[in-house]
Amino acid sequence: MEQNLWEALKEVLDPEYPVSVVDLGLIRGVEFAQGKAKVRLTFTSLGCPCTEIIREDIRRRLLQVEGVKEVEIEEVFDPWTAENISPKGRLILLELGVT
Amino acid sequence: MEEVKKMPLTEEALLERIRSGKLIEGPEYATERYLEGLKRTLIVSADTELISAPAYFRAAQDAPNINAYISATGIIQDELGHAHIAYRLLRDLGVDTDVLVFERDPKEFKHPYAFDVPLENWTELVVANAFYDRAGFVLLGDVYRHTSYAPWKRALVKVDREENFHLRHGERWMEILAQDPDKKKELQRAVDWMFVLTLEWFGLPDNLKRHTDQIAYGLKGLTNDQLRQEWMKTAVPLCERLGLRVPAHYEPDLGQYVIDVPFPAEFDAERKVWLFEKGPITWDQVLARWKARGPANEELVRSIQRGYEQIRKSLKA
Repeated sequence: MEQNLWEALKEVLDPEYPVSVVDLGLIRGVEFAQGKAKVRLTFTSLGCPCTEIIREDIRRRLLQVEGVKEVEIEEVFDPWTAENISPKGRLILLELGVT
Repeated sequence: MEEVKKMPLTEEALLERIRSGKLIEGPEYATERYLEGLKRTLIVSADTELISAPAYFRAAQDAPNINAYISATGIIQDELGHAHIAYRLLRDLGVDTDVLVFERDPKEFKHPYAFDVPLENWTELVVANAFYDRAGFVLLGDVYRHTSYAPWKRALVKVDREENFHLRHGERWMEILAQDPDKKKELQRAVDWMFVLTLEWFGLPDNLKRHTDQIAYGLKGLTNDQLRQEWMKTAVPLCERLGLRVPAHYEPDLGQYVIDVPFPAEFDAERKVWLFEKGPITWDQVLARWKARGPANEELVRSIQRGYEQIRKSLKA
């Protein structure tokens, strides 16, 4: 089930760039128990202007996964650096001229 | 092997180059007339992005919570970044941008009249994000697809992405506000004055405006009326979905949107209401209103220029 959740999260894109929250390195853990999906989420910065949009997009997408009745998102504020972006994410950003 | 041409470029050679789909990499590949047109277009874009910042900042003070405030200031920061891109391109073309930004008379700024009408609360701010940023998105999207000026085209990739977020923010907040009966009334009032003001933003209708130069030079791709339609194509369905009345509808027989009120019309900028009962006015009257600028013009421009003046004074002292 956790694998399904990860796959679903790969379809949740950053509100500005077409990179998923997984490839951006924002997801710090996924758990599933008794219909409840739990996501540990960090942001690229404390002042990220898109926190609510990202949370909403994650919630909406995970509720579409079969078996998920409830979504709990925990904001963990683990430090994030550009190192956390996956090679795939980096490639997409590079093509858009973002370094 | 491509040979480097040192001869002065003729108008015909330049147009031929643009027609064949080649991009202009810098002033050395263009004519005076092209560069003048490009500068005029860039100044409008730069001023629009710049003035949106203080206009939005004023209304952002009314944000309902800290996350909303952070989103709003994030958008403002983006807009300043976009302005910087356009002014930087102007500077590379030899324009003194310090004089342009900090010493120009407020009335000489080229941002749309809409920004001169003050945004006074959170509701008006999010409608501005959904309407005005959408207008910017439509206009700059057209520039991105059609511009013959390569440095601008490259810079617009990032701008386009960020404007996407602004639209999303505006739409999301309009949805939230539309669920509360009192807020929905406030939303309708904002839509009532801001919708038509955004229609006006796209400028003279095609039967009065000839874009020959701008389109031949590849500074824009679509005409004013086409761009106005593009904007309505997404703005009208958004409002309809939220149960908000808008004075325009889709006419299937014509395959386009039709405006249901006298347009252009007289606008009472102090009360922020359209005087549709007086019937349509001429575009010359609209141009006169634009030229006189609106109530917030001086305040917005001065808020940008204030720090520069203070530093200049203290340096002189």
